[in-house]
Amino acid sequence: MTVPVILFSLVGLGLFYFQNLLLFPQVRLRLVGLFLFYVGLRPSFSLAFSLAVVLGILQDSFATTPFGLHLGAALLLVGMARFCRRRLLLQKIGPLIIASLAALTLQEMGVMLILMLLGLRPLALSDLASLRSLEILATAALAPLMATLVIGLENFLSRHGWHTSRSMPQE
Amino acid sequence: MRPRFRFRASLIITATLLLIISLLSLSLKRSPILEKVEGMVVSLTAPGLHGLRYVGRSLSGVWEGYFYLVGVQKENATLRQRLQEYEQKELRYQEAQHTLARLESLLSLKKQVALPVTGARVIAYDPSLWSRCALLDQGEDHGVKRGQPVLSAGGIVGRILEVYPHYSKVMLIVDRNSGADAMVQRTRVRGILQGKGANRCSLGYVPKSADVKAGDLVLASGLGGVFPKGQVFGKISGANKKTPGVFQEIEVTPVVDLSALEEVVVVKVVNLAATP
Repeated sequence: MTVPVILFSLVGLGLFYFQNLLLFPQVRLRLVGLFLFYVGLRPSFSLAFSLAVVLGILQDSFATTPFGLHLGAALLLVGMARFCRRRLLLQKIGPLIIASLAALTLQEMGVMLILMLLGLRPLALSDLASLRSLEILATAALAPLMATLVIGLENFLSRHGWHTSRSMPQE
Repeated sequence: MRPRFRFRASLIITATLLLIISLLSLSLKRSPILEKVEGMVVSLTAPGLHGLRYVGRSLSGVWEGYFYLVGVQKENATLRQRLQEYEQKELRYQEAQHTLARLESLLSLKKQVALPVTGARVIAYDPSLWSRCALLDQGEDHGVKRGQPVLSAGGIVGRILEVYPHYSKVMLIVDRNSGADAMVQRTRVRGILQGKGANRCSLGYVPKSADVKAGDLVLASGLGGVFPKGQVFGKISGANKKTPGVFQEIEVTPVVDLSALEEVVVVKVVNLAATP
């Protein structure tokens, strides 16, 4: 499990660098979040959980929000991915995009709720609504690409003898 | 689903919630352990960003200075060579001129502030919308301390929130949790400048009777001792008096593009109020 966690973490770090160096501030996307969601949809729960911890801590370290907020948001995405995985048939592009959209929107709501509970000033629902909606919509539109990336990584690992999970989950 | 797995899921959810709650409460209490973890992660990952940014700049220099000239006919080889040399020289000259202009403005800012300062480069930003901060390549080893104000040639950028051995984190004035005492330059009306996320701030607690209009400059009042008095926060982009309550709603746009900073200066004084 160590090798897949390291490889997936490096890809997540790469996405974070890509976002920071090439996309920000002109293009706003939640690539790391989407990546986590798709890893969460794959069979291995321990991989998704470990990755959420690594990438959550990474994002927390670069933000001014209380440490743990991004980690919580990342785990929330993994939780939603597991929920979708158990209840929905996510084989086609349409449902994949809709599931990503729902997960990212719920994540945004969750973060706002946590910030409010902590007594900090979260962005109001109406505040930057168009920017946030666009960010979530554009990110969700990248669902097929991200799904391909995650499956590609899994195939790469299995070609080299590493498996992200030994068996399919018991659902 | 068998009971064993139901139990396992509940256990995972409870443990995760406990982990998040403990982390958040530790973070609110500014736990040194969390700061160390944060510092370690930044120290491990920031050099990558730093290096890639450098490589990116070099590659774009090569791209702009060389590759787009490929394709010129053979008989013009000599001319092309010269042209290329001049292009590169010009690019370097232009870049040097831009750098010179930026450094000159920073130097004049240094003189203007009349306080000990140190120059720093911005190497990364928080790309999420949940907070607005930047990472500088100067840290504890260079004498940077928490609470020190950060300025650029155009105006105030923010203040140091966290310090690591080689890096420091700046909370930008547009961050939702940033607040500072400010005044309108033209009428000397005072208020509290609060970050509103993205690239906007608001000037709060200004009575409706106060004379404030779009285009007025908003400066640091010097009260609170965080930012040097007279430094520019931004320009009023709109004032709305048709709101309920006694205060008007004033929107301030920073004069500096806080998403495209390159060089900044850190004022090496934590409490300006205590400075003679």
